[in-house]
Amino acid sequence: MSRGAGAHPPVIRLRHVDKEYDGRQVLRDLDLTVDGGEFVFVTGPSGAGKTTLLRLLYAAEKPSSGEVWVAGERVDEITRARLSVLRRKVGVIFQDFKLLKRKTVLENITFVLRFHGVAPREAHRRAYNVLKRLGLHHRQSALPEALSGGEQQRVAIARALAYQPRLILADEPTGNLDADLAGELLSLLCDINYQGATVLVATHDHSLLESIPARTLILHRGGVHFDGMWPP
Amino acid sequence: MIRHALAEGWLLLRQRLVISFGLALALAIPVCLAGVTFAVMQWLTPVVGLADQANTVAVLLHPHMDAEQRNDWLRSQSESHPDWRLETVSPEELADRLVHWFPYLTDLLDGDGATMLPPLVEITAADPESVSVLAKSPAVIAVGPRVSIRRVLGLAARSLGLLLAATSVVLLLSAALLAGVWVHLELYRHADEIAIMRLVGATEATLQAPFLVATAAPGLLAGALSVLGTLTITNGLSEIAGALALPEITVGPLVLAAQFLVGLLLPLTAAMITLARHAMVELES
Repeated sequence: MSRGAGAHPPVIRLRHVDKEYDGRQVLRDLDLTVDGGEFVFVTGPSGAGKTTLLRLLYAAEKPSSGEVWVAGERVDEITRARLSVLRRKVGVIFQDFKLLKRKTVLENITFVLRFHGVAPREAHRRAYNVLKRLGLHHRQSALPEALSGGEQQRVAIARALAYQPRLILADEPTGNLDADLAGELLSLLCDINYQGATVLVATHDHSLLESIPARTLILHRGGVHFDGMWPP
Repeated sequence: MIRHALAEGWLLLRQRLVISFGLALALAIPVCLAGVTFAVMQWLTPVVGLADQANTVAVLLHPHMDAEQRNDWLRSQSESHPDWRLETVSPEELADRLVHWFPYLTDLLDGDGATMLPPLVEITAADPESVSVLAKSPAVIAVGPRVSIRRVLGLAARSLGLLLAATSVVLLLSAALLAGVWVHLELYRHADEIAIMRLVGATEATLQAPFLVATAAPGLLAGALSVLGTLTITNGLSEIAGALALPEITVGPLVLAAQFLVGLLLPLTAAMITLARHAMVELES
């Protein structure tokens, strides 16, 4: 996997990053570089720092120390105005979906596309297409609470993919999907990666890791325990 | 952006229609009171002006002073008190003015006409109390009352105006605070959605615009209600004034336009301050 790794400038770069919560060290002196166009799995046991790493990358949190660079922006020192610009370059698939409860499935996606300056009709077309690809077009008028966990996860995925971001961060994206849907999602992420986007997937799903060869980071106690191709 | 703001603002309003109407009323009342206060203050301006007018005090001179002595005394007083304006009452008006200023001295007028009436000088001074020093002068028999009822009326009118204006300002500030609190509560109620929108790249302007739309609507209603309220109240007061043969209370179109703008801009300003403060919240460290 890892299309064109090393051929593009880094999209993600972490330098000596520490993160602690109430004195508990979650990430410890983490150094990481992900080049543009790479497909990277981040795995490790619960509490290893996978979600924290992703939260630092989409600037939901600041590191306790160190530098975090994403798409050329130093995230740990970013201003609010630049932050929204950065987040429009990054598609995030959240572990807890983060769908807008008062909006329908379709609106959850068109709403974000509108932030990106996409015209209403085009936003509607793109949202419908991505929902169709994820097999959810028949639920486009449903509210998130009327969907199953797997369906909600697919809506969250559709939202992240709809605006074709340069970087996709996925936190346990297959957690609520059956094997077929997980395979479909992985194939979707591979297609997007092949089109040039950088993809970073945090998962503890071993079957996912085994399904395609890709650069894999194993985090352990806040540090990188393994960084290389997996399966070898 | 505008379509998004209008659509989302309308959604916010629809969810809180009764509260929005309550907010509009809460804004309209102080704005209306401020408009009525302004109209009443304009109406009272001539009365308030009385407080600032120089006050006149009557001074009775000794009747045995001849004209030359009287003129000397008047000249010396003018030189000592350049801020005073001294006027000797003419013999034709003397009797009437004496009754006006010293009604308790009417026995002076009860004679057969042979009684010499004391000369009367009216002194106009910014501080009528300063004229009281003349009471010690051997040339003076009596110094008239120093506090004019007109001055009391003027001061009362001014105090009433200030009280109404202060009440209006306090109510307006309370209304602005209320609007700010309303926006704050709405932000709190939508905190999850706002957090999600921020995570997916919404700008602060995109996030704030619907709240401004949702605040502008009660602001518009408040402006309109306050104009209607002011017109109704001033008409009612005018009728009462007319029944008492007093001038009408009028309120000009500029005042009404200003009221409408205050009704609209007050909640919008409060909302903008609240939203700006909310946007200042830094990332978790």
